[in-house]
Amino acid sequence: MKRLFMLFCVVILALGVVVMPTFAQDEAPSGVFYGTWPYVLPPDHNFNGFASNGPNTNLGAIFRAYVELPAAIYNWGTQTFEGLLAESWGFSDDGTYYEITLKSDAMWSNGDPVTSQDVIDTYALGRIMGWSQFNYISDVVAVDDHTVQFVFSGEPSFVAERLLLKEYIVSHATYGELAAQALELIASGATKDAEEWTALNAAISEFRPDEIIASGPYIYTMDDVGDAFMTLHWQANSIYSDDVNFGSLQLWAGETEATTPLVLSGELGHSTNVYPAATIESIQAEGIRLIDIARGYGPALLFNFADENAPWNITEVRQAMAHAINRDQNAFLTNGIGARATVYMAGLLDDNVPQMVNQDVIDQLNLYPNDLAVADELMATAGYTRNADGKWADADGNLISVEYTFPAEFADFAGAAQDAIAQLNDFGFDITPRALPWAEAAAAIRNGDFSLSVWSWASGSPFAATQFFGPIRRFNTALPEDQPGISFPMQFEWNGEEIDLDNMIIHASDGLDVEVQRERAGEVALIINTLMPFIPLNVERSIEPLNENLVAGFPTEDTWLANPTGSDHPIIWYLLNGVISPGPGAA
Amino acid sequence: MTSLASSSAPVSITKTTPPSLWQRIRRILNSYTVRVMAQGLLTIFGVISFTFFLIRLMPGNPVEIKIEQFMQRGLTFEEASNQAAALYQFDPDAPILQQYVDYIGKLLQGNLGESITSPGTTVISQILRYLPWTLFSVGTALLISFSLGVLLGMAMAYWRGSLFDNIVTIIASFIYGIPDYVIALLLIIVVGIQLKIFSPGEMRGGVDPTIAPGFTFEYIGSIFKFAMLPVLVYVLSSIGGWILTMKSSTIATLGEDHITVAKARGLSERRILTAYVGRNALLPLVTRLAISIGFVVGGSVIIEELFQYPGIGRNLLRVITSRDYTTMQGFFLIITISVVVSNIISDLALGWLDPRVRVKNEKKD
Repeated sequence: MKRLFMLFCVVILALGVVVMPTFAQDEAPSGVFYGTWPYVLPPDHNFNGFASNGPNTNLGAIFRAYVELPAAIYNWGTQTFEGLLAESWGFSDDGTYYEITLKSDAMWSNGDPVTSQDVIDTYALGRIMGWSQFNYISDVVAVDDHTVQFVFSGEPSFVAERLLLKEYIVSHATYGELAAQALELIASGATKDAEEWTALNAAISEFRPDEIIASGPYIYTMDDVGDAFMTLHWQANSIYSDDVNFGSLQLWAGETEATTPLVLSGELGHSTNVYPAATIESIQAEGIRLIDIARGYGPALLFNFADENAPWNITEVRQAMAHAINRDQNAFLTNGIGARATVYMAGLLDDNVPQMVNQDVIDQLNLYPNDLAVADELMATAGYTRNADGKWADADGNLISVEYTFPAEFADFAGAAQDAIAQLNDFGFDITPRALPWAEAAAAIRNGDFSLSVWSWASGSPFAATQFFGPIRRFNTALPEDQPGISFPMQFEWNGEEIDLDNMIIHASDGLDVEVQRERAGEVALIINTLMPFIPLNVERSIEPLNENLVAGFPTEDTWLANPTGSDHPIIWYLLNGVISPGPGAA
Repeated sequence: MTSLASSSAPVSITKTTPPSLWQRIRRILNSYTVRVMAQGLLTIFGVISFTFFLIRLMPGNPVEIKIEQFMQRGLTFEEASNQAAALYQFDPDAPILQQYVDYIGKLLQGNLGESITSPGTTVISQILRYLPWTLFSVGTALLISFSLGVLLGMAMAYWRGSLFDNIVTIIASFIYGIPDYVIALLLIIVVGIQLKIFSPGEMRGGVDPTIAPGFTFEYIGSIFKFAMLPVLVYVLSSIGGWILTMKSSTIATLGEDHITVAKARGLSERRILTAYVGRNALLPLVTRLAISIGFVVGGSVIIEELFQYPGIGRNLLRVITSRDYTTMQGFFLIITISVVVSNIISDLALGWLDPRVRVKNEKKD
């Protein structure tokens, strides 16, 4: 009897070992994550990952990863990728291709394994839709069921690696038929000008899948898209299903004005909206924690170098302006505690300067302290003297009388511009503010129809080439020929040599040699720092409410917190890996 | 005499001869109803054409806006253009007259086209999705504010100078001067967040998503519950106008001779108030009501956004921001039709309520 009992216990234990994981996997965790995203309502809302108003629009850069996983996510603090769908990844020894091996246990919500075919299909459709990855790769080849090679069309680069690893992979079950047509079309040698290409392009845009097949731990149907919120439900088949601590994600609809009451009433766990300084104070008064995350851009003062009535072509004038503006004050008036004065003034985000350029370059950078005496000297060098009214005038008595256009709807840029105008007028300029609708303000810059303006500089990218892009290339050489933009000449003599700054920026992050990249970035940083072709006024921060009554476990110090909000938000990693969990008030 | 006799003879012949077809057509064309309707159709066509060109004069087109968004992410103009062109099957460089002719041609066939920023989604499906909510909320609010406003205005005029009149005049003047979005914000922040009378999250949207749609008490009750706050805001922001207009109109009517005569005839106050004063005082409000009814379909961008109410207004902001021309045109078309139709109804109603209007117009012809 005793032996029989022992045998019974062993069988029960064995069954427990086998059955328990399966049992655990089938049960949704309890608790709701209350987030927000400005999704669109049906009938515009759709499940097509390649169309507008699809998952990119409705789930954005944070929530899409919970439904359709990318291969990996970048940790800005450690400067390494962490695999999500990918088990391993890397460049081939000869640098001709990049290889990604998917996790063998990765599975779709319909029970199918995630395979190389899903990756092939994703990129086949992406190619038809004009994805940027194809600036770097020429082909995508399956090596086996879980390994894919991306064949480089030119030199391998870390920029290409990032583009390949952060792309969301979609399911063959949903897109297989369209992908087969795409692959056939590509194999036929057709180009994007071909009629068949355009027709397939239209077919992809108009494709409306009935459902989303998810590789992430959450999924939703059109019934889950409500007027006020949409709900993503936990699903059992993802490799992250066992790790997450939330049974569902409830995403409130709307932008800042719609989410402010929800933050204040304690119904919103985490939000990435931009709240004005006064609202931030109210949020703090409610005892809600604020997390401070990089935004990856800030407002810059732009010059139109083609304006013949202004002295913007004189370097000393631009340098004087950089000294004349108190950037701390400007930062506060841009976005309260959500902005910081630019430190290095080199066209790169201050947080990234130490990793992107060498120390000897940093030591050479002019930090342009707010010093009116130095600014006066520079203006005098440029041939300007103060008239009886204290205004700067050239030898003919002409004042620096210009207009400064800014987008009226962007409170941060408008604040930055108005403060810069006030400070420069106090310094002796004669600048008139001109508010425009944002689309018109952007068009005015592109068309060279301005004298001074404001737009963003830098970007939430870990590469110098991409951070240098705005505004010196974006509103200049990256524009078509009929749009002059800021008209800053990119070819000029520097240290006795003819240089092409455009080319230097484009190739600043090429290749796989980090040291070479630092040197290239350093050269560009020094040029921008010296010439001041734009004045990077400040860097904005994302001050995000995090209600710890609803979301628990969000770290206070961690390498992931260096990630910017617009791409690679740390909450993606924290939620998928169970770092955060429902707080005491989460239903 | 001879001349008189000879001139009267043909008149009598004309009287007995039935009117010719052309005369009949002219008579129909000259009739007040037909003229009003023809003017309405012409107005609709004019507004459609005007808005078609006007929205294309706005800075940026759908493709440019998308390119701007892509370039913000670090793409060059060429890369951004390629991706934007792949997303939208819209050629902004197509001749504008060709676009106009295409649009009018489709419109005559009842086809409002497809959304530019949501290829595959018809504009009519968007209108059908959002319009009922706006009609319900703004329509209900208009009904309440008009009825209450007329009653209060009339009562105030009748008891002019009383405490009731003074208090209501002050309140009406005060709330009439507050924009609707300020009322909405105060309602949410003070009543919702500070006094905690309702939870802002629980009062959002058009209906409780957990209740299955159908003609059930629960579902219809939920629709009313979720419309309560937007309706309250609309009523509060508009009732002051109705009260004050009705009051002044009633005061003007009370001073007219026929009211004095009615009083002298010994008619009851109730009879005078309803049959003599009310009907005449309402006349100036008919046009205003018609215009308000017309604008019911436009909803309110800010109010619907604040309460996440799924109406036309909430989506109008989105489509304008993304320059979705076809959807904008669709939304403006129904707003135009609604305003014009309600004005036609108001013109006809005025003609019926006050025969002087109809006669004057016919005399002009």
